[in-house]
Amino acid sequence: MVALNSYITLSWLVPAFPLLGFLITGMAKNRLKNNQAGIIASILVSLSFLMSAFLFFALRSSGQESATVTLFNWIAAGDLKIPFAFLIDNLSVTMMLIVTGVGALIHIYSIGYMHGDDRVNSFFAQMNLFTFSMLLLVMGANYLILFIGWEGVGFCSYLLIGFWFKNPAFNYAARKAFVMNRIGDLGFILGIILLFFTFKSVGFTEVFSQATSMHSGTPLVTLITILLLVGAVGKSAQIPLYTWLPDAMAGPTPVSALIHAATMVTAGIYMIARSSILYNLAPLTMNIMIILGLATAIFAAVIGLRQNDIKKVLAYSTVSQLGYMFLALGLGAYSSAVFHLTTHAFFKALLFLGAGSIIHAMGGEQDIRKMGGLRKKMPVTYFTFLAATLAISGIPPFSGFFSKDLILSKAFENNPLLYILALGGALITCFYMFRLLYLVFFGSQRLSTVHPHESPRVMTFPLIILSILSVFGGFLNIPSLFGGDSRFGEFLNKSIISGITEELGSATEIGLIVSSLILLGLVILYAYRIYVKKADIPVADGVSTNIFSKAIENKFYVDEIYSAVIEKPFGSLSDFFFNKVENKVLDPAVDEVGILTSKLGNLVRKLQQGNMSFYLFAMVAGILLFIIFILIV
Amino acid sequence: MILLIILLIPIITGLFLLVLRDPATVRIIALTSAIVNLLITLGLIISVPSASYSVNWDNFMGTQFSLGFDGISLIMLLLTNLLFPFIILSGFTRSHVQIPVLNFLILFTQSALIGVFLAQNAFLFYIFWELTLIPVYFILLLWGGENRRAITLKFFIYTLTGSLFLLFGIIFLFQLTPGLHTTDFSAFNQLHIAAHTQTWLFWVLFIAFAIKMPVFPFHTWQPSTYTMASKQGVMILAGVLTKMGIYGALRFLFPIVPQGVIYWQNTVIIMCLIGVVYASVIAFRQTNIKKLIAFSSMAHISLMAAAMFTLNYYSTQGLLFQVISHGVTIVALFYMVHLIQERTSTLELPHMGGLKLAAPNMAILLLIIVLGSIALPLTSGFVGEFLIIMGLAKLSIWFAVFGGTTMILGAVYMLYAYQRIMLGDKNPALAKVKDIRTLDYFILIPLIAIIIILGIFPQPILNLVEVSVNSMQKLLIPANEVVTLFVR
Repeated sequence: MVALNSYITLSWLVPAFPLLGFLITGMAKNRLKNNQAGIIASILVSLSFLMSAFLFFALRSSGQESATVTLFNWIAAGDLKIPFAFLIDNLSVTMMLIVTGVGALIHIYSIGYMHGDDRVNSFFAQMNLFTFSMLLLVMGANYLILFIGWEGVGFCSYLLIGFWFKNPAFNYAARKAFVMNRIGDLGFILGIILLFFTFKSVGFTEVFSQATSMHSGTPLVTLITILLLVGAVGKSAQIPLYTWLPDAMAGPTPVSALIHAATMVTAGIYMIARSSILYNLAPLTMNIMIILGLATAIFAAVIGLRQNDIKKVLAYSTVSQLGYMFLALGLGAYSSAVFHLTTHAFFKALLFLGAGSIIHAMGGEQDIRKMGGLRKKMPVTYFTFLAATLAISGIPPFSGFFSKDLILSKAFENNPLLYILALGGALITCFYMFRLLYLVFFGSQRLSTVHPHESPRVMTFPLIILSILSVFGGFLNIPSLFGGDSRFGEFLNKSIISGITEELGSATEIGLIVSSLILLGLVILYAYRIYVKKADIPVADGVSTNIFSKAIENKFYVDEIYSAVIEKPFGSLSDFFFNKVENKVLDPAVDEVGILTSKLGNLVRKLQQGNMSFYLFAMVAGILLFIIFILIV
Repeated sequence: MILLIILLIPIITGLFLLVLRDPATVRIIALTSAIVNLLITLGLIISVPSASYSVNWDNFMGTQFSLGFDGISLIMLLLTNLLFPFIILSGFTRSHVQIPVLNFLILFTQSALIGVFLAQNAFLFYIFWELTLIPVYFILLLWGGENRRAITLKFFIYTLTGSLFLLFGIIFLFQLTPGLHTTDFSAFNQLHIAAHTQTWLFWVLFIAFAIKMPVFPFHTWQPSTYTMASKQGVMILAGVLTKMGIYGALRFLFPIVPQGVIYWQNTVIIMCLIGVVYASVIAFRQTNIKKLIAFSSMAHISLMAAAMFTLNYYSTQGLLFQVISHGVTIVALFYMVHLIQERTSTLELPHMGGLKLAAPNMAILLLIIVLGSIALPLTSGFVGEFLIIMGLAKLSIWFAVFGGTTMILGAVYMLYAYQRIMLGDKNPALAKVKDIRTLDYFILIPLIAIIIILGIFPQPILNLVEVSVNSMQKLLIPANEVVTLFVR
């Protein structure tokens, strides 16, 4: 026990490594040559991963459930005391392993992907800064440290989306992401403040130990959970704050893999899972999460059907999968949400890195209509991409099957209608993923100007590792139905208080699985018939006449609506305040006082123009008035 | 005695500078004096728990020349003496126009400001308060930009009008004091003024501070003045002079007219919060970078003013922390603006862009300052604004929501401005622009270091502030007691 605590005090090393990497690559960015920055950055994140793995084993062998490491007091003002402290428990260790593990692989991949970019050193500095912030987010022992990381990752995301800053559209996308996140963050910080007023602390341990004795449905707790949810909706790109994520694809592809698929966007899920005790007390918020999650899952999947940019398809797919995680959270199946988060981190990072490999090979082309036949030219990319596609589609025994099936069965327990809708979303997912796979890898090459080739080993190595994880990751949590012991869920449930207890009967569950598998198989066949057999290449934008499909192609015009309802009016309001209120009312009002004064002066001045007789008259009149005044009073 | 030394060092040095010719010597002497004064101030903060100095002035209006300080004065003193070395240092350029006079005026301002913050007597306070206007008037008039005559005149008359109300208030309070009348703050603080008198006296006293800060709708002198002012002029105005308004309000309103404060509390907070949103919204569409930052500063100051009237521990601490944080950030920001103007020879955002390619280091430094300004955690701005929003939330969640809009809107207009200055494709006009020079590093690196260090280790300032907040809380206790009577 003693030994453990002394090891766990070293947990500050986990974020310290990437911070060091940021400082080295940032300071020496004009001196580092070739791949040096990438190698330094990758090594430091890998060290961070090793340290996390070490903490994982230390925590397991200790038998302790959690440990808090306090570094120093950050803010102390009156009764507000916020230590800069880390909480090491099963949930945070899991997240640390994902962040540093997937992070290290993406760093290594980036050495190849970013090779030759003239700001490659800045790129790695920013990636390391991101990893540092993300680790603060998952390791913080109270909501405010979490918030440091929360805003920190948002800022790094801003930097990396706008990495190629010569392009105004990319800069706009970066700002859009930051501002939409900040809208959520305002809700989040207000939630934290209310938490403090309610519990006199923002520390996880203190808050949760007090919350266990509270009644379900307390209005204050409902308000707090809703405010925290606002933050999560912004960060994890749920309706209505999701539109920044597809635009965020402007960043380099490894950024999309790390930040906008595997880690940052899952921060909202982590935060809510962390706050499970509070959310269990707020059924209203839970219902809101079910609705938001399911709506996002289906809505984004539908948009994904008609996207032709490979990264945009994956982006909408991410939004959709995050919706499934929210659905799980809303159902009280927090550990299932985190399990899906984990498998999603594997297969979605893999999909993005695969996409990067494809874009790399296609000379920067991202339109899937112009690809095709890459299966033979890029075998490693093809097989790894196939593994990820099978995983995300929920085909057994790939990882996504276990995690998605868990969520679907929880939905069925709650309400069969939820199950049907969620399954519908899963079928759409399966369709757009196989559409993507068939268009890119099958058929024949449609763009003759490029000569695709397999990516270098530094890029394929991470693909292979991630594909192993995508294939076997599900075995972490084999449900009892298949003779497993749901180990991952049990592990997490030491940190999370689950909101549901019921279990489905195994007959029902087998029935559900079999029927969903048949449907998935049909969808895949249907996609094969359209895109491989008939070689039906989607037509160019604007040609389709069907109103519905046109709406989908245009992402249901949500961006346009936001622009018309929020952005434009905001600009007009700004102009109105400045041109009308400021310059026509407030400023002239002050000038008017000045003008009035000088007019008054002019009036009085006229009395003093050296007219002797007027002076005499005024004097006599004055004396008379004075005498009358005295006589009367 | 040490307070008298702190007060006199700048002005005596300044007078001495007038007989010198060589600009380089003048600058170095001015800088040295400012640094010495900073060191003495730091020594004072660390070691001396209390110090005072007083001389009888033949009892003119019961006035003593008495200096002293509490935690609030100390924060203001620290801010002034911390920023002036940088303000003077920013004048180390090739320009040779009237360097002795300019530095004399700057040091004169510094002395007058120190006087304001140390005066223990309302009349003395008033004298220093008005004294600051004289050198600032000349700095604006002689070194200002386009349209400086009209703008300076407006600034001068506007603030002077406000001050007249204050003078009236001081005389009114003077004749209320018992026995041999006096204008000592200690005597004013003892007054028990009838509640209905306090309700109007509040505005008489507040108007001067509201104009100086400035608070909506008394701000109309500010954007044009900031835009026109020279580099050093705007640094003094935005960094320190606006804090005079906050200091004055803390010094006069809370101890003297506590019931008036409570009576008007919600009105003033709402007024300030309107200012926060109003200024933030306006900032978004400004094309002149200086004007944009002027409105941004107004939004931040309005938030601080709102914090002042929440009358609780968190906000008051946040406010005093933010005094330092905002001062440092805005000075760094305006210095940056000056560097940008030097390189692009414009202040108009639409004419900029692509500067990052020519001056990458400058872009990084500007970005960090912007982050401080939009209160990203681990910058000083976050600590201050978090505490302020917390205090607002204690009063009403809606106050916190509107106050918190700075978080969103600040990000909207600052990042937009950053993009329009720095990002974008190569700008042929900027091909030969030089990145940051050594002098700029000497100014910007320490300021940025303060922004980051105070964001990570805010405790030294919070501890310093704690004393003053406690003393303010003490002042407010009777007010809260009385208010129950008042409401009945």
